[in-house]
Amino acid sequence: MSSGRTHLFATLIALAPGFAAYAQQNTDDGWQLGADSEQNSAQQQDDWGWEDDDWGIEETSAGLPVHGFAELALGRRTESSPYHDALSLGDARLRLETSYQWQEISFEAKAEGRYDAVLSDWRGRIRELSAQFSLGQQFDIKAGRQILTWGTGDYLFLNDLFPKDWQSFFAGREDEYLKAPSDAVKASGYFDWFNLDLVYSPEFDGDNYISGDYFSFFNPRAGGVIAPQPGFNAKRPSGDEWALRLFRNIKGKELALYAYDGYYKSPEALSAEGVPTFSGLQTLGASIRMPLGSGLFNAEISHHRSKEDGKGENPRIPNSQWRALLGYEQEVITRLTGSVQFYLEHTQNHAALLANSPFPDWEAEQNRVVLTNRLTWRNQRDDLSLSLFTFYSPTDQDGYLRPALDYRLDDNWSMSAGMNLFFGEDEHSFFGQFKDNNNLYGRIRYSF
Amino acid sequence: MKLPYKWLLPLSLMLSPLAQTQEVDVQEIVKRAELAAYYAGDDGRSAARMLITDAQGRKQMRQFVILRKDREDGGSQDMMVFFSRPADVRDTVFRVVKNTDRDDDRWLYLPGLDLVKRISAGDKRTSFVGSHFFYEDVSGRSTSQDNFSLLDETDKQYVLEANPKDPGSVEFTRYQVSIDKATMLPVKIDFFDSKGENYRRVEALKTEEIQGYPTVTHSRVQDLRSGGETEMQFRFISYDLGLPDDVFSERSLRNPPRDWLELRD
Repeated sequence: MSSGRTHLFATLIALAPGFAAYAQQNTDDGWQLGADSEQNSAQQQDDWGWEDDDWGIEETSAGLPVHGFAELALGRRTESSPYHDALSLGDARLRLETSYQWQEISFEAKAEGRYDAVLSDWRGRIRELSAQFSLGQQFDIKAGRQILTWGTGDYLFLNDLFPKDWQSFFAGREDEYLKAPSDAVKASGYFDWFNLDLVYSPEFDGDNYISGDYFSFFNPRAGGVIAPQPGFNAKRPSGDEWALRLFRNIKGKELALYAYDGYYKSPEALSAEGVPTFSGLQTLGASIRMPLGSGLFNAEISHHRSKEDGKGENPRIPNSQWRALLGYEQEVITRLTGSVQFYLEHTQNHAALLANSPFPDWEAEQNRVVLTNRLTWRNQRDDLSLSLFTFYSPTDQDGYLRPALDYRLDDNWSMSAGMNLFFGEDEHSFFGQFKDNNNLYGRIRYSF
Repeated sequence: MKLPYKWLLPLSLMLSPLAQTQEVDVQEIVKRAELAAYYAGDDGRSAARMLITDAQGRKQMRQFVILRKDREDGGSQDMMVFFSRPADVRDTVFRVVKNTDRDDDRWLYLPGLDLVKRISAGDKRTSFVGSHFFYEDVSGRSTSQDNFSLLDETDKQYVLEANPKDPGSVEFTRYQVSIDKATMLPVKIDFFDSKGENYRRVEALKTEEIQGYPTVTHSRVQDLRSGGETEMQFRFISYDLGLPDDVFSERSLRNPPRDWLELRD
């Protein structure tokens, strides 16, 4: 990392405590203990200011609270790639967050700026800018840019068709960045028999898909792995998106039904002109999550109807699919949690797909199975966690390992390190195509 | 000879200490202590903050608001914990349904991902958000899990010994709990390991009467082996607010009930 970048990050880090100080103006509204309090209690620790601290009440009445973090993240490929430099992640990032209450409306804003050393570019993004309010007793509305999530899978999404950022996920950014924001209106209704969420996105929000600028990927039309620079731009559809969830909780059993009308979130289709694009998609699904034995069981199913290729004969448009998931998680021993998932993607009209495909050998199996396993261990002090997440597909004979370590030094500083390791027999399979992008990363963050 | 009725009273008073020591119903004490400590009022709200000091003297802080509602006294409870500090856990919400007939239901809301993460039943004798308090210290250890016996009784306190019915499920061999007679609140709990070493202490440093309910407003857990400790203070406490049931739901994770979370008395 060049000294210029170091300076930049040093500046960000130096700024952060200033923001923190601004965000935490102490007052004299201390909370004195009675004389009967024990010796060696906190009141003798003036340096820490526990007694002078006003419980943060002041913060809410003294203008806008400012929070956020400064973060430096670096990653490099574990083996040299013919397509990219060694640097797989290089972020110097400053996040600022604030919230504001006006009448009955809660405003939330999260914005960030970063220098991206992989792209040698400055990037700014508003991650959240939303207003939330209630309509009567039974309805909540949240409008604006927001993060949306539902469903029961762990890193597997059947009915959650909100935008993902796979590039961040593969590069080793914080998990938070796997979810990309939606510009949407969410209406939630709460009733005796069920609750509902209805989300309308007037403009399609696609995934931040693997496009070549960060990572190489397999392209059957190119006959192999490619990494176009800068990343390719898929043609965005002009339509809108609807997503619906009906859900309720009966004695600890969480039941949900889902529907979606929009487009595939990643550009799996080709337009008539041969440009990558997002074809139409409708989904219907259901899920359950409940305690079972000493752990948690979840099951989810989803039907993905490809609106533009009902018979599966068009090789440029993805076929319809059934997707199913079974999962189980439990604490194996104290502070060690293990989970397993069984995931199936069943492609419909598979014979028609093969019959019409220009490269039948590279098409997905009719039944693609992915097994996942997560092991998470936390230490006694709860400030260190070690985890290993494994994707393995016995049908594709490929997989993806995500070992990670998170350590929280104190209330401000935390660090993380980990790896993204892809393996596979073939370069055309889902995980196998990313073999050239294996990387390890480290992050350090100052939160305020 | 027929004693006049009014003579009976002093007589019974004279006899009563004797009678009590002989007939102290340990289970009754334990039940009353549990109700006093965890079931005051039909519902309750409190702000809480923790000062965590590790063995090297480094300090951390946690601050949150707890909302609680009893489904039945001494039985199931709903709880919500809304974190405000430190920065990296701000707006995280922890939801618990404490069940008497099965494992508790627990959820964690992670605002950055908009994720309602369900937490599988786990060992409740593990750190609560990095402090020396355990989950079980916060939500209460079911009295049915231990056998109690009376060790000592003074003017002011009952001292009970508890032995776990399932020794394999806990890190202690036994514990001693001192219960204040005036309030029936447990004021000190000492945990002992198999070598008989007192390695952990939970104690009430200050109690106040709030709306007629004796309430611990300052408590401390000490790790007597390493020297680390966590203090917890409570403020803005009120009981019997009439918290509606729907506050304790997934809705509140994404849209916290601001009226109930305001830091004011």
